[in-house]
Amino acid sequence: MIETRVCKAFGLQYPIFQGGMAWVSDAALASAVSKAGGLGIISAMNADADYLRGQIRACKAEVGELPFGVNIMLMSPHADEVAQVVIDEGVPVVTTGAGLPSRYLPAWNAAGIKAVPVVPSVAIARKVEQQGAAAVIAEGGESGGHVGDLTTIVLVPQVADAVDIPVLAAGGIADGRGVAAAFMLGAEGVQCGTRFLTAVECTVHPNYKKKILAAGDISTITTGKRLGHPVRVLKNQFARSFAALEYDSSVSNEEIERFGAGALRKAAVEGDEKNGSFMAGQIAAMIHDEKTCREIITDLFAQADEVLAGAAKWVR
Amino acid sequence: MTTFEKIANILKDYINCDLDDIKPETTFESLKIDSLDMVEIIMNLEEEFSVTVEDVSEIKTVGQLVEIIEENRK
Repeated sequence: MIETRVCKAFGLQYPIFQGGMAWVSDAALASAVSKAGGLGIISAMNADADYLRGQIRACKAEVGELPFGVNIMLMSPHADEVAQVVIDEGVPVVTTGAGLPSRYLPAWNAAGIKAVPVVPSVAIARKVEQQGAAAVIAEGGESGGHVGDLTTIVLVPQVADAVDIPVLAAGGIADGRGVAAAFMLGAEGVQCGTRFLTAVECTVHPNYKKKILAAGDISTITTGKRLGHPVRVLKNQFARSFAALEYDSSVSNEEIERFGAGALRKAAVEGDEKNGSFMAGQIAAMIHDEKTCREIITDLFAQADEVLAGAAKWVR
Repeated sequence: MTTFEKIANILKDYINCDLDDIKPETTFESLKIDSLDMVEIIMNLEEEFSVTVEDVSEIKTVGQLVEIIEENRK
């Protein structure tokens, strides 16, 4: 049994967050994760206040007093309004991605919301700690969706050294070995996204799950570097075409943006295997089965216990 | 040395450009300083000048940065 400051601070049985994935992390998935002892997180994605309010209420109806969270994508056109919704609805935890949440932190802190920004660098981790973040998620480029350049194994120990608040590791964690490794690097919790994409309770299109389960070690690539926001996706016709457009200097950035617009929805909702953007982390290759959230979490930590307890065999 | 001169020197060392390339109206975008660099620079300046910068994302030019640092020092 692993217990860290993350369990205490967020009221969790297991120190694990489920990543906020646009078009994937809805109330159904988040509530299942929270009921299994982790922190389920609803993605506010690019949707408006009404959508998020509905999801929050649906999640609350399922989880009762158990904690859950909302992920706010700071580049969302509705960021300001959803930042207010989490206060109005009394959401206990908010994670943020794609930027610095500085402008929202004072209001969230005042409302008693525990803010946990995803950080891609040491300086950003230090900045949000200074501004009152409860913890940080150090996310390496192995993860799916929007990614930074540093890898988890390099980023996590440096962030852990730089801040006093708890660090959760994300990116490249799909089994107990990854969880154990994250703890060895100084993390006190983990966030998994892709692993939960194939959860039984995840309502994403079955084709999406099928593609994750079929993925191999070299099945993902990062596209969008030229646009300044790289995204890790499964290789398919869409991803290959996107990559080709990026290398074509006669194609404008606007044309590339247009080509990519709506592609994630096509993947997650319609299951369009050709034209969808199937965001996934590199560890998609290590996911071989559809399990319930409870099975995913208990298996992760049972194996982590075993790996950590067995680590002494290396020491002379 | 004025605050501008101090900051210009720090920026010069950070990106290895010429001091002449940095004017108050110079944008960080034109210096190819991205948002990650920007936060790192700000954290270094906070230590150097014993100040706290609340919102990094609003700062577009060197002059604006100098202004914010000077305001916070008061």
